[in-house]
Amino acid sequence: METPALNLTLRLAGLTTLCLLLIATPLAIWIARGHGMVRRVVQAIVALPLVLPPTVLGFYLLLGLGPGTSMGRELIAVFGHPLAFTFWGLLVGSVIYSLPFAVQPLVVGFSGVDRAVVETASVLGASPWRVFWRIVFPLSRMSFVAAAVLTFAHTVGEFGVVLMIGGDIPGRTRTLSISIFDLVQEMNYKAANRTALWLVGLSFAALLLVYGRTAVERRADLG
Amino acid sequence: MADTGSSRPHHQLRVKGRRGSVDLDVSLELTAPWTVIFGPSGSGKSSVLRAACGLVPGVEVEFRRWNAAARRGQGEWIELQGASRALPTSWRELAYAPQGTAIFPHLSAKKNIEFGWKSRGRKGDRHFVDEAVELFAMQPLLERRPRELSGGERQGVGLARAFAVPNAKLVLLDEPFSGIGRGMREALLPRMRARLAALGVPALSVTHDVEEAILLGAEVVRLEAGKVMARGPAKDVLADERMAMMRTLIADD
Repeated sequence: METPALNLTLRLAGLTTLCLLLIATPLAIWIARGHGMVRRVVQAIVALPLVLPPTVLGFYLLLGLGPGTSMGRELIAVFGHPLAFTFWGLLVGSVIYSLPFAVQPLVVGFSGVDRAVVETASVLGASPWRVFWRIVFPLSRMSFVAAAVLTFAHTVGEFGVVLMIGGDIPGRTRTLSISIFDLVQEMNYKAANRTALWLVGLSFAALLLVYGRTAVERRADLG
Repeated sequence: MADTGSSRPHHQLRVKGRRGSVDLDVSLELTAPWTVIFGPSGSGKSSVLRAACGLVPGVEVEFRRWNAAARRGQGEWIELQGASRALPTSWRELAYAPQGTAIFPHLSAKKNIEFGWKSRGRKGDRHFVDEAVELFAMQPLLERRPRELSGGERQGVGLARAFAVPNAKLVLLDEPFSGIGRGMREALLPRMRARLAALGVPALSVTHDVEEAILLGAEVVRLEAGKVMARGPAKDVLADERMAMMRTLIADD
């Protein structure tokens, strides 16, 4: 078992999930609240990583984070070194790559919360902060579970973006999915199989968590 | 509340702006403790309440209270809300029971009723909650979830939740008795009126039910297509509707 790769993968997926919940929540609230053209455009941009080949995304990120563009130079000035081929570069890439997996479930969840309930809470004196934590969050908590699990699992499974931005550096940017690729190239099928089985198990458990919880919730709602 | 018996207004509410296909231009002088807006659906009556809550963007709202003691007894209008005092919804200190109750589906009846107090009230304001629970006879239902309540009980929770808001400036009730049986309504009304009088808070409710408007014995404002068409005691403003109702009653016999 490739322990450094496993650690790195879990750390990357965990941090990506955390960052994405923080970014996706306000974004999803905003998208769910209206119907304007601007919102539709933003929603399309958010969904882009679903359809783009990961190599395309990785390629532009590599350019964006490197010294060849003005944005990259700014970032280098801020961090003191290029983000490409570092863990933090991977994190930036993963956040963008998994963005739709966090935003879409949250948009669905927030849209399902009765507008009248939210408005009434506010009239009765609840600040927007309180309205979110007491009303919106409890009524859409399954969407948060779904967003977190899907983001985590999707980050664990990403390959193209990580390879493009991270460059397969052992212990620093070599995640599980990339180590499988390396093992296969070395014809070490046995080790590759072990690692691959880990990923299958992890992904299956994640999905079971989402679907299992949803079923439990549904039964509770009916009962 | 300032002299409720006389016709001097103690509060003024003005709502002006476009809401969908209705041009709202409503200026209400609240002279009675309880004022009812009566009108057909689509007349904009719910929008008046929603606008007062700050839920209708683009509609101007002015809300004033007459302070009789000010300026050495000459009195003056205090602006509670207006162009120079555009308050966010949660700062308006309103009690509101919206149409269709909109009770919080994940909270028990008790948590629903306590919501306004917990949002804004002080510890010492707890008695507002207790009195609202008592007023609407909610004790046996307190631990129940909304899905375990009947339609009428849910309506009761919604009303109790509004009445439990501490120190509200105005009580807004949108079709407060829909889903509540006649007997219950007749039992509740005098108690609600007495409670509002004790608190000194004016109430503004909305109905399309003639009987309810008459039963309330309140000042009635007839609204059509966003404009006030008539105002006054129910027996005057709703004279035609009352006659029609009587006629059907006689015809039924």
